[in-house]
Amino acid sequence: MLSKQKYYDIIDYIIEISPGFDTRVLIMAQAEGLTRYANSMIHQNVFEDLTTVSITVIDGEKKSEQSTTDYSEQGLKKAVTEAINNLEFLPSSGTQPLPVTEPALIEHDSFNKELEKSFGVKQRALELKTALNTLPEEYLAYGTYSYTEYNISYGSSQGVKRFARSNSVKFSILISDKTGGTSFITESAQEPQNIDFIKSFAQVFERAKLNNNQQQIEPGAYTVILEPAAVSDIVLYLAFAGFSAKSVQNKISFLTDKLNQQVFDKRITIEDDWQNPNTLAIPFDFEGYPRQRLELVTNGWAKQLAYDTLSAMKDNVPTTGHSINDVNSGGIPINLVMSGGEKPLDKLIAESDDAILVTRFHYMNIVNPRTAQLTGLTRDGLFQIKNGKIVAALHNMRFTQSIVEAFNNVVDISSDRKGVPKFLGNVYMPSMVIKDFHFTGKTN
Amino acid sequence: MQKEIHRILSFIKAKGVDYADIRVQKLNTEQIITENETVQKLENENTKGYGIRVFLNGALGFASSQDFDCLEQVALQAIEIAEASALAQKDPLTLAEKPIVIDTYVTDYQIDPFTVSKKDKIDLLLAAEKEMKNNAELFKTMGFLRFSKEEKIFADTDGSYITQTIIESGGGIRASAADGQDMQVRSYPNSFRGNYATAGYEFVTELQLVENAPKIAQEAAALLTAEECPSGYYDLVIDGSQLYLQIHESVGHPIELDRVLGYEAGYAGTSFLNPEMMGEFKYGSKHVNIVADATIPRGLGTFGYDDEGVPAQCTPIITKGIFQGFLSSRDTAPIIGQQSNGTSRASSWGRIPIVRMTNINLQPGELTFEDLIGEIDDGLLLATNKSWSIDDKRLNFQFATEIAYEIKQGKLTGKIYKNPIYTGITPEFWNSCDGVGNKHLWVLYGTPNCGKGEPTQVAHVGHGCSPARFRNVKVGVADVK
Repeated sequence: MLSKQKYYDIIDYIIEISPGFDTRVLIMAQAEGLTRYANSMIHQNVFEDLTTVSITVIDGEKKSEQSTTDYSEQGLKKAVTEAINNLEFLPSSGTQPLPVTEPALIEHDSFNKELEKSFGVKQRALELKTALNTLPEEYLAYGTYSYTEYNISYGSSQGVKRFARSNSVKFSILISDKTGGTSFITESAQEPQNIDFIKSFAQVFERAKLNNNQQQIEPGAYTVILEPAAVSDIVLYLAFAGFSAKSVQNKISFLTDKLNQQVFDKRITIEDDWQNPNTLAIPFDFEGYPRQRLELVTNGWAKQLAYDTLSAMKDNVPTTGHSINDVNSGGIPINLVMSGGEKPLDKLIAESDDAILVTRFHYMNIVNPRTAQLTGLTRDGLFQIKNGKIVAALHNMRFTQSIVEAFNNVVDISSDRKGVPKFLGNVYMPSMVIKDFHFTGKTN
Repeated sequence: MQKEIHRILSFIKAKGVDYADIRVQKLNTEQIITENETVQKLENENTKGYGIRVFLNGALGFASSQDFDCLEQVALQAIEIAEASALAQKDPLTLAEKPIVIDTYVTDYQIDPFTVSKKDKIDLLLAAEKEMKNNAELFKTMGFLRFSKEEKIFADTDGSYITQTIIESGGGIRASAADGQDMQVRSYPNSFRGNYATAGYEFVTELQLVENAPKIAQEAAALLTAEECPSGYYDLVIDGSQLYLQIHESVGHPIELDRVLGYEAGYAGTSFLNPEMMGEFKYGSKHVNIVADATIPRGLGTFGYDDEGVPAQCTPIITKGIFQGFLSSRDTAPIIGQQSNGTSRASSWGRIPIVRMTNINLQPGELTFEDLIGEIDDGLLLATNKSWSIDDKRLNFQFATEIAYEIKQGKLTGKIYKNPIYTGITPEFWNSCDGVGNKHLWVLYGTPNCGKGEPTQVAHVGHGCSPARFRNVKVGVADVK
């Protein structure tokens, strides 16, 4: 990884060789060591160090983009020259994305040196070996154990500079018995005291022991208890296909024409909050704008949407700082936090007479974005609850369900919440009890 | 570069490794997206780097970098990682034998897409968008083009040295219609940004984007007022624009040997197949003949050699409905007593090669389009994928398509339905196939977005197919109470 000053030097050089243009530079750098294990042994073990410089050159209502991993002067000159040349024949786009001008500087360094010292490739392998040795022969373990460092830098010809640096440890553990009964957990943390691979491994094993002799249920409407990983799967889809202003502008969102209306049960509150310690601490977005805290849904009412600059200009509002550097997606809330309820998950299970406990989902997709109708499969633990207790493991089921309906069929929300690693960071979710949740297919 | 590669391989060999290889990759891509007759994106991406893979005492280590001044440091890091892998290794990894190859491969193309002016490309998309707008009241139109040129070198301690240049071209258009209640989409030649091939710009010209714009524009608008697709059991003709993804999800992924062996169990999932089923399992009806063909011209999964230096091959997967074999790599094939069939590929220089689909093709049958629909009394023709989902063993699938056309008494009635979905179980579905369209209906579809592996790798794969007929398939879920 390069130093902060080196990133700033790259930005300054690009600005220098593109005089007279509105030039913006985003540098994404990540170094990751990832150990992957299957059948209770390491089968893949990799390291990647990647720095990508993305250059946007704007001339009035024309915009051209280049990205390169060659940050030598020659490589940068080539990229800038091509970006400028492209402007010559580009037709006007009709819009000029507004540049960020304030504040001039944002820097955020949450790099934890203890992590770097404690989670090298050898330490990860040794800890994994210790965990694997605790497993009886009839069980096998699968998953990943990784250490990642990342830097994000931004600068522009308007003179702004941005820099954020962090590191994290992430692992996933799937334990399977020989009949295929599985259990799973994934966690990510930045404080060494919050990482206990061996303890998590033991917890997954305990749950895996419950997932055997699976019974079959028939498709139909059931009361389900969704654990945080399952809730996060759903809410993340809502973020992409519903909470993005661009999805509303494109009329694909379930929130189209529904802003400032009650859309969910009043107990549901969902925020986007990068300052929540359970999410990704990057104070600016990929266009350099300060990342704002959003009240997406407050007490069931749709309140705010996530914007990048272009979608904000279309609605004549300021950007909320949620660009993910993808103009097709617009602004996306990636630091999702759902409020908890009054009782812990254990109590919600104990109070359930007849319910299905869902660990997580697999291969979810949108069937109809306007009704937030999703489909997907359960995975790694589906259990029948009777009179407050797990009485049977179940074969996985397919659901096809409007989430607007489901989030209006809330029975309860747990007080305890968990951070769940997702594609672009962490989300922080409770468990939810939902009635009339539609399982539409069996897996056997 | 060749001298430097030989030097670093000698350096690694002197460290006592069992085997090592290096891949150097340079990739240039160009992407143009237009939306509502303006250019939304014009972007070029250039990346160059290398990855070094070592096997030491049966354990794997891999390290990569874009800094060509630290080759030795990266090589030593790969060795250090292999040593760490050995700490939690039960059984040593074994690599299948392969020939030592010194060769060069270049995609067969006519027009280098990077020599065509960007202005001409933009004008093509804008013209197609205009044609869509001129033919229907649309909320939004979009156009997509993407080109890439990949130059890569593979070399190993056994003595292979292979250079490859792979050119990809493709694109598509999309029409969206919306009213106060609904939004509907039609795409050409396929959804998710069109169709892609290992070919030059001539492939884009052949797509005839402008000529095909009016039809999808009119269909998108008509879908707004169309009835919802009914639920029930129907005989279906599935067009290639949907069937390609059915093949991908319910044949392509389950035949990946690394999934079968559990290598993906923690992430992408496993497979309902096992090695004992080879030559025995009735995957589909006698009409189902599927091959994995990395040699077919224009396939998005076509190449000269995979990223382990194994020659591209055409492998039978399903013959007259009987399952024949898996996609494999050098580290997976020996576990079932086979040699690699050359499907191990990496998405970039920074990722290790893993088992990936090549071109998983449903071989054409004998039927004309009229034959296919002619024997359906009450059914549907489904076209163009809209969404997909399948379980972690690749058995229970559910797909949505952009449009359904009604079939009654062997003819298309002209009536269309919106929001069709169908669902099933993989072997039951393929066994319900009672006819496949002929070679004149056969189209090779490129899928540039196949995700797998950790860290995630996105592969470019292909699927050739004709429309095919399936009996008594579950359509819709509205009847599940």
